[in-house]
Amino acid sequence: MRGLPLALVAAALAFTGAAGPAAADRYVHANNSAYDTLDPHVVGDVARVATRLNFYDGLYRWVDNPPQLIPWLATSHTVSDDGLVWTFSLRDDVPFHDGSLMTAEDVVWSVERMLALKRGASTLFLPVLDPGATKALDDTTVEFTLKTPSAIFGSIVSDIYVMNSDLVKENEVDGDWGQAWLTDHVAGSGSYMLDRYDPAVGFIGERFEDHFAGWGESYYDEIEFRTVLETNTRVQGLMRGDYQGLDGYLAPDQIARLRDSDNVQIIEQESMRVFHFAMNNRRPPFDDVNFRKAMAHAFDYEGFIGSILQDSVVRNPTIIPNNMWGAPKDVEGYTFDLEKAKEYLDKVEGPIRTIHIGTLAGFSETEQAASLLQNALAKIGVTAEIESAPWPVVNSRMQDPEQMYDMVPYWKSTYYADPNNWIGELYGARYIPTRNVSGYDNPEVNARLEKALVSTDQAERQTLYEEAARIVYDDAAGIWIYNTKWYGPYSTEAAGIRFSPVGNAQDMRWAHPAD
Amino acid sequence: MTGLKRLLADRAAAIGAGLIAALVLVAILAPVLAPFPGDVSEFHLTERLLPPDATHLFGTDRMGSDLFSRILFGARITIAIAVIAVGVSVAIGVPIGLVAGYYGGWSGGLLMRASDIFLAVPQIVLAIAIAQTLGPSVENVILALSATYWPFWARLVYAETRAMKGQVFIEAAQALGASDFRVMVLHILPNIASAIIVRTSIGMGATILTAAALGFLGLGAPPPTPEWGRTISEAREFLPEAWWYAAAPGFAIFLVVMGFNLLGDGLRDILDPKIRRGAK
Repeated sequence: MRGLPLALVAAALAFTGAAGPAAADRYVHANNSAYDTLDPHVVGDVARVATRLNFYDGLYRWVDNPPQLIPWLATSHTVSDDGLVWTFSLRDDVPFHDGSLMTAEDVVWSVERMLALKRGASTLFLPVLDPGATKALDDTTVEFTLKTPSAIFGSIVSDIYVMNSDLVKENEVDGDWGQAWLTDHVAGSGSYMLDRYDPAVGFIGERFEDHFAGWGESYYDEIEFRTVLETNTRVQGLMRGDYQGLDGYLAPDQIARLRDSDNVQIIEQESMRVFHFAMNNRRPPFDDVNFRKAMAHAFDYEGFIGSILQDSVVRNPTIIPNNMWGAPKDVEGYTFDLEKAKEYLDKVEGPIRTIHIGTLAGFSETEQAASLLQNALAKIGVTAEIESAPWPVVNSRMQDPEQMYDMVPYWKSTYYADPNNWIGELYGARYIPTRNVSGYDNPEVNARLEKALVSTDQAERQTLYEEAARIVYDDAAGIWIYNTKWYGPYSTEAAGIRFSPVGNAQDMRWAHPAD
Repeated sequence: MTGLKRLLADRAAAIGAGLIAALVLVAILAPVLAPFPGDVSEFHLTERLLPPDATHLFGTDRMGSDLFSRILFGARITIAIAVIAVGVSVAIGVPIGLVAGYYGGWSGGLLMRASDIFLAVPQIVLAIAIAQTLGPSVENVILALSATYWPFWARLVYAETRAMKGQVFIEAAQALGASDFRVMVLHILPNIASAIIVRTSIGMGATILTAAALGFLGLGAPPPTPEWGRTISEAREFLPEAWWYAAAPGFAIFLVVMGFNLLGDGLRDILDPKIRRGAK
């Protein structure tokens, strides 16, 4: 019963504005990107992962580091010998926030919704799963019949966020699958229930006491994820005690500042998030491998990692994180060498025009990386222009081949622990243009990636990914810079932060106030 | 020459004129005065965020470039934006105000209602909307400022022209058969020039401030242009530790805007004795 009076206090504080330091059982997270929607089926990025992890549940869930899948809505699964039929057993005790129990029909409806909307995580499922191929065998059994065997299907079912289908259907308008309503409402079973939401401010969640996974001895009764675009405001707010946690995208300069504060702890973890430049391989002169190699040789890797990032990260020569299997260990990486860059540039056949680099507003690292490249390119006679825009804008432009910038520096985070998350999605033709934003399409690479997706032989898959990574590297399809360490800035009042490279510790059910 | 003497005799105006003269000189001589002229586009990553010292008078920025040199070069952009934007505003606003004020009637009313529409929206909001739509660049900042600034001159000239129109010397000129164009340009315009000059001087300061705001919001010159507003925006992240990073461009903006305002006040005193500051 301990939770109830505290929840009331927290709710009362929230409604009275709660401007001062947060109550001890309340967690406030300052996020560097806006929550423009609460719909878990239309977005798939880390910037907006908090809504998915805290309001909804998936069939399985990724936790810890190295990331592990634990049973969640599903308790187990079996796969047919041909690798096509996946049968999941579901829990029978999962209540939605309105008290009704989840059934296999809800899972089926949620999968169909996700596939119909063709956004968010659906681009991972559509290549292997047709609409109508998911069936409820009984209340607690759901069966997926895939088009082709998939080595990663088991890893991505964590992204099937299950909705209360009856509730959403009541709010459907003109067959929109409840899209309009779910933008600012929640129909999930997740650890927190929606209390308040304002796209300009963020959201507040109240603990769902009846969550099927139960609760430990200590927890946060209320969580708030607030959009605070200004880096300095986030940093100062954490030091002052206004926030209990920040995003894990702060530059080393900020981390160094935070380390000096008595109110702040920095949680360090090995991670898998590769910082790279996506290059639009479709558009001349980027369709010429010599031009791309010139770009790869024009980035000052050492200066960026050593000086700007103060060696807080490690060089990653290909798109697959060094600490992930499938990353070729013998590739040394392109070097910063303007002579070589010039040589490659001279071999480019067509005309060389001004190139446009899109950077992420609020993520100054992307702008500094772009400036560094722009500076080096100027020395070899290539003009680059930098355009900054908020992540949701950059992200939607990237997925449109017509509007995609020539280059975009950004991070590829972990959504599931498999090399396909990086090389498959970013350079496999099946993911053009939604995830493979550079439009890179090489039959030799595609053959290997496709084979790796259906093979169940781990050793073979590893070889295939290593080979594919070497070819993509030789083609200089992108500029791969570093694999990050995760520096999680939290208040010393917060404990139990459970980090996983998938979700970046924003699954708040494990966290609790420090004793 | 008496005008200049009177200007220099007014201490505030003289300071204003001095600041503006310094700004112009700095802009012209930036390549000579800057200790590291290459730092407009050159980075020295091992020298990031150094505090001010004898080598780097204003310290260094996040890419290790010398801030003092960048601020000197930034003066060029500031002047260019202010002069062109205000110039275009005057070129659009003055003729419109003159024609509307002289002819009056429905055509004059129409022109003034058009300017009212622009004045109804706060200038910075309109400028942000225009700059955002057109994309971030110096040219678009100038366009946005010009498009939102001309009504101020149109309003002013309209009011002055209406007051002037009833004067006896205008009626005399008209009676002698002078064309409307001649009356407007040779008789009215010289007599309202002082108001325009004063408005222009003060408008320069306001324009620089708005341009810096647009730069701060990321709508101005793209990197690595050493635009002042943009530099402050970059520096936010490093406050309060690297205080010099934001302070240097902030101080530069402060000086220039103050310079134009003091000069504007001084000019008004000289050109329009009726509304002179304080009792002398």
